[in-house]
Amino acid sequence: MKTDAAMVEVESVSKSYASADGAVRALDPVSFSARDGEFISIIGPSGCGKSTLLKIIGDLIGPSQGSVTVAGHSNHIARQEGMFSFVFQNPVLLPWRRVIDNVRLPLEVLGRQSRDPRQLLAMVGLSGFEDRYPKELSGGMQQRVALARALTFDPKVLLMDEPFGAVDEFTRAALNKQLLEIWQKIRVTVLLVTHSISEAVFLSDRVIVLSSRPGRVKEVLEVPFLRPREAALQETEPFQEVVKFLRAKLE
Amino acid sequence: MAVPVATLVLLLCAWEAAARLLHINRVILPAPSEIGVAFRRNYPRLFRETGITMEESILGFILGGASAYLLAVLFVYSQIIKDAVYPYAVALKSTPLIAIAPLLVLWFGNGLLSKVVMSALVAFFPVLVNSANGLTAVDPEVLDLMKSLSASGWQVLTKIRIPNSLSYLLAGLKIASSMAVVGAVIGEFTGATEGIGHLINTSSYYLETPLMFAGVIMICVGGVFFFGFVSYLERKIVFW
Repeated sequence: MKTDAAMVEVESVSKSYASADGAVRALDPVSFSARDGEFISIIGPSGCGKSTLLKIIGDLIGPSQGSVTVAGHSNHIARQEGMFSFVFQNPVLLPWRRVIDNVRLPLEVLGRQSRDPRQLLAMVGLSGFEDRYPKELSGGMQQRVALARALTFDPKVLLMDEPFGAVDEFTRAALNKQLLEIWQKIRVTVLLVTHSISEAVFLSDRVIVLSSRPGRVKEVLEVPFLRPREAALQETEPFQEVVKFLRAKLE
Repeated sequence: MAVPVATLVLLLCAWEAAARLLHINRVILPAPSEIGVAFRRNYPRLFRETGITMEESILGFILGGASAYLLAVLFVYSQIIKDAVYPYAVALKSTPLIAIAPLLVLWFGNGLLSKVVMSALVAFFPVLVNSANGLTAVDPEVLDLMKSLSASGWQVLTKIRIPNSLSYLLAGLKIASSMAVVGAVIGEFTGATEGIGHLINTSSYYLETPLMFAGVIMICVGGVFFFGFVSYLERKIVFW
């Protein structure tokens, strides 16, 4: 599946905001790269600018300095070409559209026919819910619809901003497992921002630790566990060791 | 449903009894039975005049509502248009319609058109404010989502802003439906040869109070049906 070609190249990206007390640095220069098909998690304390970093990578906001390239293009071109796909903390579904039409939205906007929305709904375990409206679904189900929507148009890079932060522990574990299964089937580079260290370790090839504000890369950890990973991995001694190591880095 | 009906029946009985026992002058307060007689004698005319007023109201409602919505869409895309127009829309809203009604009759004549214009003027503002809110009160994450897909302005308008505004629009239209009837009746009071406002006005000259009451009841029922119809549309259109 994986090649060594860099899919995402983040070069000295920084961000400061103007405020009443002068410029506030949100992000010190951050650099890293992601290989094609790699799963990277970004963790850090609240307010370290990890969500900002994700938005800069996806060209939703501009950096103060630095640049991002995706498959050799600037991220601005990449966004116009429909290479990025976002999953936010909230499902952000349109309540007036049926589930299937929510999944189809990116295809309508991009005018592209990539994957069958029905197939993706089946992949996230929502066959039979095509004609329901979002309000009829639980929070976890809505987030799965958002995941299906994010993948319909075959994006190159999936940018996830604490996607499972608003659901309960139990649902979260199920969603993580499903995300891994789907990622193993669909070749996509994932950048995931999360609060949860164990989630980051369980899902990722590499974990990037950002320091508190202004954020900068404090540690890049190559996760040593083989795939496919089972939920039981999280109970093992080596897994706990890695989590402990990262927690120490965060403090 | 049973409780309000019971209240009405009880109230009518008390009213009838009071009018008969206390010998209240029928010019001041006719008994319900006398209003009923006035209604039976005049119902073809009552229905015709109410129909005219409702026609004026509905046309004004459509004209005012549609132009307000279009203006609200323009507001979203042009701050300049908003800055140029909005203060005057507020000023217009703050001007009592009855103060400019004679002017409007002078300009648009004492026929249908002046009533439609007045009706549209009062229906305009609630729709403008609500629609402008609904078109802009979009979840920022939805806009981020659309931006990440490089959606065009037109796509954001048609796929997000307009559907998002519908619940606000319908809430505004409900207010506008009541206002539109007020506008039409004020127009008829100011200068008209027909319509329920004209009927109420002339029966007050002739001290035909029972007929006045019948007219008031007719336009009340007309207004309630109008409001009910818009509420029904709201439930059908904004189902989510």
